[in-house]
Amino acid sequence: MPVPGLRRALIGAVLFGAAVDAGWAYTATLAPASPLTVYLQVGVGSFTNNYINGGQPGNNTTINTVSATLTSAAVGDGTAQPMTTNSTATQSFWDGYTYCSVPGQVYIGGFYRTTGAATAAALVTATVPVALANATGDTIPFSKIRWTSSGNGDSGAEPFPAGAFVNGGVQNVGSMSSNTWNESCWTFSYLNNTVPPAGTFTGVVRYTLSAP
Amino acid sequence: MISHRRPALRPAFFLAHALSIIWAYPAPAKTTTIDDSGTQALEPSVSMRWKSAAPSRSGADNLMIGTTTIRVRINVTPWLRRSGRIYLDLPAQPPGPITASWITQGRFLPGQVRSGNRTLVYAGPIATPFMEDVLKFQFSVDGTLIRRPFPVTFHFEMDES
Repeated sequence: MPVPGLRRALIGAVLFGAAVDAGWAYTATLAPASPLTVYLQVGVGSFTNNYINGGQPGNNTTINTVSATLTSAAVGDGTAQPMTTNSTATQSFWDGYTYCSVPGQVYIGGFYRTTGAATAAALVTATVPVALANATGDTIPFSKIRWTSSGNGDSGAEPFPAGAFVNGGVQNVGSMSSNTWNESCWTFSYLNNTVPPAGTFTGVVRYTLSAP
Repeated sequence: MISHRRPALRPAFFLAHALSIIWAYPAPAKTTTIDDSGTQALEPSVSMRWKSAAPSRSGADNLMIGTTTIRVRINVTPWLRRSGRIYLDLPAQPPGPITASWITQGRFLPGQVRSGNRTLVYAGPIATPFMEDVLKFQFSVDGTLIRRPFPVTFHFEMDES
């Protein structure tokens, strides 16, 4: 003759045995997939939108210029000549704020992203030729060009401070702390304290961002 | 006259006293970790990427996010034909604060949990020995806290009423 009450009790005992906490847990592995991102913009750049609106950085191959045209009477008179740029970059891609003024200023900005706690700063360097040259091989030392640094509404030290070019070589022109947005506006000028031969003198400076 | 009044007051006093004890010490719910050994991930690991490719000016926006799909299968046989409340528990663990949010296919509730906490994913009768659902998780963690792949552990637990 069945004993229903006892059977239920036995089944209950077995089930409660299975319910003992066995330390079950599920483990997922989180792996940083693309932790290092670098972006440097000198002159115009590309972003899909402003950062605060979810913008993503893009590639822009434009090479901007800065130039000064002197009258013969002014050449070598010791009065620094402001240089103007063909860059149209005035707004920060961070929030769209009009940070630089053209044609008098060149925007320089960027960032590098990396995982982990704060690491060494990324460096921005300029690779500078020895001199600017004209069609007949006459030259002007690159050290005759300098720049000041500022930004609309800015205060405090600039990440890309004022300086002057070296006569050939690689020089530091600024640094970026990890995971921060950095930007400045450069105003270039030609020292104009020597008298070179007439002509159009050109040279190309390449800016490089190096992340640790 | 006084001795006639006392018997009428005593039952009311004892009843009030007994009720106060009952309300002051409710029986705690028993919590048991659920066997989730049948749970499987559809991807081997969770690829974490910057939520925003660019950082903020202050350096405060360093969130990394990653998604993965996990087929959850938990053994609720011990609570069959009873009622219970099932939670997803994400314990506090290295490397620091982690947030997980998920959507489901309907068997469990969608939700979000920050490490060190748990979130209800089911409440009601337990009608089958196993409960299954496919959960699409999004994990979020501060990128400055991580340098290399790391494990994140969570589990399901049952509160019996």
